[in-house]
Amino acid sequence: MRTTSEVAGFEAIRERARSWPFRSVLIANRGEIAVRILRTVQGLGLEGVVVYHAADRKAPAVRMADQAIEITGATPVAAYLDAKQILAAAQASGAGAIHPGYGFLSENAGFARTVAAAGLVFVGPTPEQIELMGDKVLARAFVAQGGFPVAPSAIEDDEPATFAERALKVPFPLLIKPAAGGGGKGMRIVREATRLRTEIERARSEGQRYFGDGRLYVERYIENPRHIEVQVLGDAQGKVVHLFERECSVQRRFQKIVEETPSPALDAQLRQRICETAAGIARKAGYRNAGTVEFIFGAGGEFYFLEMNTRLQVEHPVTEMITGKDLVLEQLRVAAGEPLGYSQEQITSQGHAIEFRIYAEDASRGYTPTTGPVLMLRAPQGEGVRVDSGIVEGQDVTAAFDPMLAKLIVSGKDRSEAIARADKALAEYALLGCVTNTAFLRRLLNHQAFIDGQVHTGFLDAHPEIAAQPEPDQATLHKLLAAAALMTRPMRDVADLVPDLHTAIGSWSN
Amino acid sequence: MHHAFKLGEAEHNLELSRALIGYRLHLADGTGPVNLHLEDDGSAVLTVNGHSEKVLVAMRGDDVFIHLGGVAYQLCYEHPLQRLAAQSQGSGEDHVRSPMPGSLVALHAKPGQSVARGETLLVMESMKMETTIIAPRDGVIEVVHFAVGQTFDRDALLLSLEAIAVEGKKS
Repeated sequence: MRTTSEVAGFEAIRERARSWPFRSVLIANRGEIAVRILRTVQGLGLEGVVVYHAADRKAPAVRMADQAIEITGATPVAAYLDAKQILAAAQASGAGAIHPGYGFLSENAGFARTVAAAGLVFVGPTPEQIELMGDKVLARAFVAQGGFPVAPSAIEDDEPATFAERALKVPFPLLIKPAAGGGGKGMRIVREATRLRTEIERARSEGQRYFGDGRLYVERYIENPRHIEVQVLGDAQGKVVHLFERECSVQRRFQKIVEETPSPALDAQLRQRICETAAGIARKAGYRNAGTVEFIFGAGGEFYFLEMNTRLQVEHPVTEMITGKDLVLEQLRVAAGEPLGYSQEQITSQGHAIEFRIYAEDASRGYTPTTGPVLMLRAPQGEGVRVDSGIVEGQDVTAAFDPMLAKLIVSGKDRSEAIARADKALAEYALLGCVTNTAFLRRLLNHQAFIDGQVHTGFLDAHPEIAAQPEPDQATLHKLLAAAALMTRPMRDVADLVPDLHTAIGSWSN
Repeated sequence: MHHAFKLGEAEHNLELSRALIGYRLHLADGTGPVNLHLEDDGSAVLTVNGHSEKVLVAMRGDDVFIHLGGVAYQLCYEHPLQRLAAQSQGSGEDHVRSPMPGSLVALHAKPGQSVARGETLLVMESMKMETTIIAPRDGVIEVVHFAVGQTFDRDALLLSLEAIAVEGKKS
């Protein structure tokens, strides 16, 4: 909900947008984020163009867009990674700007360069900023140089011959990471010095396989860490502000499931320190666009720079809920050359917001992805409830893409109100035809440790009972079998043939 | 009881009969009055033992999907004939199915090839992780149903082994 002054502000931006260097934006993405970006683009009176692979023909973004252009590829994912086709689509549609969303080409400096070379506006940072932050070793050195906290480490590139020796001097346990990595892939924890060399070789071959780059670095491994990140925003005039933190500690396979703001782990002082550190890092990079500085946060309140994501983040809505800022709108304004036009003090945080990622996966089977038709879809509504969805009834959930289907974002005046609203909204979120993780998310948010805010990135591994699907009780089982039997034609037909004469209305009998 | 549904791994036998109002459900542990009234908006009112509540239901083939009490369930109707056939055959080991949706990364078996129990048949990828699929028993590959690079759903038939009797004739 926008306040009156925000509505007036939005109208003024809409008016100014008439003279922006672009009047049409191509969204080089799919799913919920394509819909999310379209909403702001079209709200501004700009034309929204999407590209889509045939597998997404029924997707909501395709219906919603002013123009939708089909792209092809060896696999559906390959189509969305094909810069050449996307650029051709932009030119054919008359788009003046390209918004990459997240994933796919969003952190590809080469793509950002190609877009600019074609005379189009890339809604994102400069290619140099993408390159700097995309190389984890360079980024780390850059941050350390500015006097910002990084975990004790050894970097192979500094002197490859002495890498293992230097690694041994870092306090154990260690975490080996690929220099070109991200998303937790190829990382290995080493607890004993004797295991170091073997693990280095394994990590190297994994890095080579995942990223085509076997360079590594090691850093001190923080036990039971929290993942806390800070939203930053910079304009082309050199101004950088932060929009507070997000806590994203609930993860499986190093991927986030639940994100919230404010973080239950921070007091006011620590919150200010971590947010200012993030803004300082972005400022030093002269950062333009929306970005996220990620930190690893230890039990003693110490925090270290992890990496910076130079794009819109999946979990950006929770920040929007507490600050009232539309981050896609801010990205577009900055891309159009507008200054942010407000100071750090003018950005305030109100209430509490939590995002739940709705995945097509079966938590009780090791979080393996599920597929199936979307036979019925009912999304919750109500105060403080927002659903960013990339699916509609009639679509098929396939193994072709990432299993994230939608995001449920809830807000409340405080954390407990947000949790209560989330529990109700998740119960009301009904998707039939494909298993989703909504029941798992409800077990998670009702877990005492989550209620107490006592989570860390290994939380779900430490509590496997949350992932286990409980057996339905007898009353529930009876209801399920009754509904199933009454829905099944052959059963009903047989029953209708033979009237049960001696049965009056009665109750359950054994 | 001739009818059955599978919920997860468990099989539940049941029977439905007509009552003066609605139906009666007969289960192994009892019987009681039930009814289901479908609304225009896709929801339904389920009445069990005189107690009514709103549910969402959808069908696809033999699968029944039910959203009840904030949780989605999937039940599968077992056809009486299929159940009989399954009981008399019991040769699930002839077929190698996919444990999860994914794509085929590498194939180590071709039709006609003899394989030993535990031998790697193929490697699939799901969630950017590789999973090795091994032979469930000694045998000869009959059909390989997918080529490298193709994607499939969970439970997709990946590969079939020749039935034991045929293998016996060959040796």
